[in-house]
This record gives sequence, structure tokens and C-alpha cells, in this order.
Amino acid sequence: MLSGQQLLQIKHLTTSFRIGDHYYPAVDDLSLTVRENEVVAIVGESGCGKSALALSIMKLHQQENTKIEGNILYNGNNLVSLSVDEMNKYRGKEIGMIFQDPLTALNPLMRVGQQIEEGMKNHLNLSKEEMKQRSINLLAKVGIPNPERTYYQYPHELSGGMRQRVVIATAIACEPKLLIADEPTTALDVTIQAQILDLLRDMQKEMKTGIILITHDLGVVAEMADKVAVMYAGQIVELADVQTLFTNPLHPYTRSLFNSLPSADHAQDRLHVIQGMVPSLKNLPRHGCRFAERIPWIDSSAHEELPVLREVEKDHFVRCTCWQHFDFPEEAEVKNHAVT
Amino acid sequence: MPLLKVEDLKVYYPIRSGFFRTVKDYVRAVNGISFAIKEGETYGLVGESGCGKTTTGRTIIGLNKATSGHVYLQDGEQQVDLLNLKRSEFRKYRSDLQMIFQDPYSSLNPKKRVKDIILEPLRNFEHLTPNEEEERIVEALEKVGLGRDSMYKYPHQFSGGQRQRIGIARSLVISPRLIIADEPVSALDVSVQAQVLNFMKEIQKEFNLSYLFISHDLGIIRHMCDRIGIMYNGRLVEEGTTEDIFNNPQHLYTKRLLSAIPNIDPQKRLENKKFRDRIEEDFKKNFRTFFDENGRIYDLKPISETHSVAIP
Repeated sequence: MLSGQQLLQIKHLTTSFRIGDHYYPAVDDLSLTVRENEVVAIVGESGCGKSALALSIMKLHQQENTKIEGNILYNGNNLVSLSVDEMNKYRGKEIGMIFQDPLTALNPLMRVGQQIEEGMKNHLNLSKEEMKQRSINLLAKVGIPNPERTYYQYPHELSGGMRQRVVIATAIACEPKLLIADEPTTALDVTIQAQILDLLRDMQKEMKTGIILITHDLGVVAEMADKVAVMYAGQIVELADVQTLFTNPLHPYTRSLFNSLPSADHAQDRLHVIQGMVPSLKNLPRHGCRFAERIPWIDSSAHEELPVLREVEKDHFVRCTCWQHFDFPEEAEVKNHAVT
Repeated sequence: MPLLKVEDLKVYYPIRSGFFRTVKDYVRAVNGISFAIKEGETYGLVGESGCGKTTTGRTIIGLNKATSGHVYLQDGEQQVDLLNLKRSEFRKYRSDLQMIFQDPYSSLNPKKRVKDIILEPLRNFEHLTPNEEEERIVEALEKVGLGRDSMYKYPHQFSGGQRQRIGIARSLVISPRLIIADEPVSALDVSVQAQVLNFMKEIQKEFNLSYLFISHDLGIIRHMCDRIGIMYNGRLVEEGTTEDIFNNPQHLYTKRLLSAIPNIDPQKRLENKKFRDRIEEDFKKNFRTFFDENGRIYDLKPISETHSVAIP
């Protein structure tokens, strides 16, 4: 694993949303470290809390309905306790964010150039001319063919891939040291996805940014990440570097995810289906292994009562003990046959 | 005889401008494509957004008007051209073709109960007593793995995967022969996606259904389809069996699409990027050679029994 300086340290973060009179944690006691020059991927299905985590770091949640507990240390400063004004000094300058949908992330009434300059106006002391020059350079850097012209264009005049490039340019305008990319390529075609990922990786190498990459696409993870955290129901269930996780996934959820991908190598007729569904925020099991109800064939004694992330080999963390006893039903059948 | 044969299908949209809104030019969304789907077969239509794959699907089923071309549907011993039928005659065949839409959140009417959603095609094509209707609905719901009690629920009470299955139940209830599935799983999570894909394969076997499977996800296309057509700019650039396309791609555009699929093996990351860069460079350099002097992509030429490519 790369040994850069620690950039972001999330310690026991719990983000709860209010539904009715109660607060329900969408992110539950989560700890994670991001170093300089490191791409940390967060993988999970919708509703697992990965976007809630990203928005907690940026403090973009609705204040009145959200409760954030725990610490988010950015270079030693706790972001959780900052006021709005203080937080604004970090947004864009220190931490940049790339949003999922380039169409809604850009203001349709503002020219591309203005949107990129918005962050610079707040954070950098530049003249108008300098800002314009910098914006054009940025547009060129993200691979827009005619940056001088695009500078004066409106978002609707650009295609989806170009818009996402503008969003990236906006995010890196003040050279943040940490980038949060929330599903940066989900809305795009495969060819454009490949281009955007290549672009992100090249920039990351050049500027030594730390990136938190949030995605549900394991292919994207394999292409981009150094370290991977698999999230389920608000918790990290497995954490390892990308090589380990892809060659030796241990937690039942991780293995199920891999198994449900249509893959070229074994052209099986049926895909593996994870039973049941992601529990909604209100119905999250708060005790025991949260994944237990989706693998009912595993004996309940295999689970821990209070599952914790445990280091099973160097830099490979898995939650709960159930992974040691886990087999897919098809595999278990084969095994039973062998015994009898 | 193939179940469905599309011949030189063209869909143009006029571009109007000026004071009198005269037609200045056309957007050639679909510009002369031909393919055939056999009974029980899954035909995949792949391409980037804007290549005309959805328009093709919608035109076949009659949601868009074709500019020219033919869509033949097999009817006993003869073939009927769906595009040259009167509205009243077309009705007879409409129940043979059904569609599964992309977004399970917007393709179900939120104000209708599941029962009424599934009942709608049934009432259009058949005259049944209330008891028979209920029987058919329960039957359709059971096929997609939902119970009798879901009949009186509303779409918002279901998850994404379940909703997509309601959409499938709606298209199954009148026993179609061909289902046009327009990105049926792209709005769903991987595990739910697996559920829906498995299910589509099961019912295909059970009812000998044919699918026109429209998608941009090549992994899914590879898993589902028997034959594949690659579309670019409203034309087919390559067509063949799944093995032809994935193991022996001929057209540079196909290669570019394939190279863009993220590889699941993190060790091959660099290798992949190099390969991708090489293809991209090749693509930029040889871009012009794909088009004839009129700026049209060439017609498909067979290079083996199952495989054809659009090269000069």
C-alpha cells in the first residue's frame, strides 16, 4: 500500500437522518483513512450509505434533519465541528467534489467559464484575466478540444461526456488535495467512461491528489482504486487493497457481489442472486451481522453478536466471523455430495 | 423463416427552420438497418447513446413512425409488413410485440394499482369476465415471482427490481412472441440486475420468447444474447454471433467499444490502458475510412456464415 501522508481520517462517523421523531443512522460508526496520492473506492448497492458518507465529509446535508457524530479529521482539523463559513474555506479549495449527474451539477444559466471561476473567486487571489486563462488551461487539461470556445458556452450546448469534463474541471480548479468522486461515470457511455477514468487517473498521478471514489461498478474499481472499502447497510464489511480484494474476497457480501456479475470467463447460464433486498433505513437490523438475513442458509451461530472489523491478514479487514463458514448454496451442495 | 425481419429501416426527423418552418435537413436517427430475429433467439443491439438503438426498437413496435423500410413479422406461413398495415390491421399483431422499458420508476403509472397496470393490455386485446381477468393477472404475477396480494398494491410499495418485474408481467400477460427490452436493467443494482436477467432467461425458455435486447452494457449483452448487432450513427457496423463479436471483432468501432469495458482484474490495468490508447489512436487516425464518399457507413458485408462487417 502506498505510504503517503494521512490526508483524511474518518473516526467513528455516524450520520443519522430524521424520519418522523427518530434519527436513523445511514452511516454507522465508520472509520476510514485516506492518504495522499491514494484512490480509495467505496463500493456498495444503493442505500448502503456511500453517498451519505460523501455528503457528510462535505457537510452538504440538510442541517436540520441530519445528525453527524464522530470525527472527520482533515489534516488534523475536525470538519464536523466547523461552522458554515469555516467549512466554505475547505470546500473547493481543500476538498473538491465531482457529482454523479453532470446535467444537474451544472447551473444551466451560467456559462461554463463562470462556473469554473466561481471557486477561484472565493479561494484564490487572481485577476479576471488570470482566472480566465486558468479556466481555459483547465478545460484543455480535462481534454476539451476547443477550450476558448467552450469557455463561453452553456452546459446545454455540450454533450454528456463534455459536461462531466467541465464538472471535473470545476472540482479541480483550486487544486484540492482531496477529491470526492460520487459515481463520476455512471451516467456516461462505456467509451466516455474509459476516457474520464483515464483522465482522472492521469490527473491524480500528476497532482498527487487523494481520491474517494464512490461507485457500484466493480469494473471501475478494478481500473482505478488502490484501496477498496465494501459497504453494506451503513457499515464497512470489508476493507483491503485492490489486489487482495479482487483475488481473495472474504466477506459473504463481497463474494456475492462478485458472483452476481455477468462474466465472460465462465459463461454460466444463471447469475447468482443475493436473496432478499437491502433493508431500508428504518428497518436496518441494529444487532448482530447485518448481512445475516440475506444468507439464511448459514447457521446463526456463525455470526458474531457484535460484529467488528477484524484484521484477518495484513491490511485486510473483514467484519463478522461468518465469512469463515460461508459457502454459496450451490457450492455447499457439491461439498455435501462429496461427503456422502 | 425468422420471426421478425427488419429491412432497410430508416427513421428521419426533419430539421425545420426559417419563417415558414420549412424542412432544411433531416436527422438520420436510423439510416437503413436490416437484421432478423429467429424464434427463441435473443438479438442484442449495442451502441453508444444517440446511435439510434432505442429509436429502432420503438419503431418496430410502432411507437415511432418509420420514414421507409419494412418490418416483417411472421404470421403462420406468410410474412406481414407491419409498417404497411392499416391501424385496424396492425392491432391484430400488436399483442405479439411487447416492450419492457428502461426505467421501472417512470414506466408504471403511480396512480394505478398493480392489478390495473397489468389489466390494461389484457382489456385492450381480450374480452374476459372479471373472474377470468383475475385469474390471468395472478398467473402473470406468479410467473414473475410476485404473490396474489401484490395485486392491490401501488408501484411505490415495491423495490426497483420488483417494479421491473411488474413491467415484465405487464408485457407477458397477453403472451407476446417478441419482447423488446430497452435497457431493462441499467437502472438497477448488480444483485437485482442478476435477478431480472435470470428471470428473463427463464421465461424465454418457458415460452420460447424472442428478445430484442437493447443495451450499452457489453457484459450483460454477452451474457444474454445469441447474436449481436453493433450500431453507430444509425447504421449497423458489425453483426455476428456473440463469439464472433467478442472473440473476433473486425470493425475498429467494435474494437473500441470492447476495449472500453473496464477489466475486472486490477493487475491488467496498465495493459488495458495501453491497449485502449492504441485503439483510440487508431480510431482517430482511421476515422474517415469508415465512411463512403457520401459520408455514410458502408453496407454490411458477410465475412463468414454468421459474421458481417461494414468495411469497403
